[in-house]
Amino acid sequence: MADDDYEADMGYGNDEPQEDPDIEEEMEDGEDKNNDDIPEALVEEGEEKVQQQSGEGTRKTSKYMTKYERARILGTRALQISMNAPVMVELEGETDPLETISIGDAHKIFTISSFYMFRRSTGMSTWLACMIAMKELQARKIPFTIRRYLPDGSYEDWGVDELIVEKA
Amino acid sequence: MFFHIVLERNMQLHPRHFGPHLRDKLVAKLMKDVEGTCSGRHGFVVAITGVDNIGKGRIRDGTGFVTFPVKYQCVVFRPFKGEVLEAVVTMVNKMGFFAEAGPVQIFVSNHLIPDDMEFQSGDVPNYTTSDGSVKIIKDSEVRLKIIGTRVDATEIFCIGTIKDDFLGVINDPGAAA
Repeated sequence: MADDDYEADMGYGNDEPQEDPDIEEEMEDGEDKNNDDIPEALVEEGEEKVQQQSGEGTRKTSKYMTKYERARILGTRALQISMNAPVMVELEGETDPLETISIGDAHKIFTISSFYMFRRSTGMSTWLACMIAMKELQARKIPFTIRRYLPDGSYEDWGVDELIVEKA
Repeated sequence: MFFHIVLERNMQLHPRHFGPHLRDKLVAKLMKDVEGTCSGRHGFVVAITGVDNIGKGRIRDGTGFVTFPVKYQCVVFRPFKGEVLEAVVTMVNKMGFFAEAGPVQIFVSNHLIPDDMEFQSGDVPNYTTSDGSVKIIKDSEVRLKIIGTRVDATEIFCIGTIKDDFLGVINDPGAAA
């Protein structure tokens, strides 16, 4: 049984080589450069001094998604979904648990009190956005690329669809 | 003078625009944001003629917005010292007159108007030669030479002269009336 689970996870890592060409985004680590809306070429892009090691063969960091990456991806994606970003998976009647509890066991993670506290003006609750984000992550449809910075300043790019997500 | 140049800009896109038409939305927003603006360095952006390259987006922490570097070609208009332009007079007063050449405002002081032209106040303030053959009023078209520019970050203002050979009124709406 445990073997089966393991195999299933490994299978994830290899399928779906195609990428959505329309949305390519990268997580940017740490530094917020605040250089948006500066119309001229005054902005120095000096931070990209490092070479990128791309391609499957040359990357050396783990192929497992860390829990920190997972948290950040889910948080960012849920925020985007709550701001009306198009959802990349089919929804199967996911609803706010205050109306019905419909999917999975994940709702146990959240406490009822948080549902109301973080309700957004878009009308979608944080809970629902999180649920959709989790579903997208499980389906490997989150259109993000993780940029992992290494201590020497270089980085590796990993698509979220390439990384193995372990059950939290 | 007009230039066709390539510029780059970081565009912030709201998550609701993600999806199949992301690029179209980005280009539409670029045109809305950039066309008609003025930068001291490049001049007035008249029109975007094409988008060369849309780079990889970067997610802005905390906001969910994504920043895309966009390279685009555009036509810019930048006035230079010594350049001769045709402009339309928009306002005449005793200090001189203001004229517009497209987006740029040009002031011609009365010291830079030929000495034989006198200011006439009244209903229709104007500059007229002593024999009345040439008249500068609002909506006149004049050919002038730029002798100075003041370039701010978001504005370009010019000083012009018509006190030189071949400069002055080229089409007088008052004469036709």
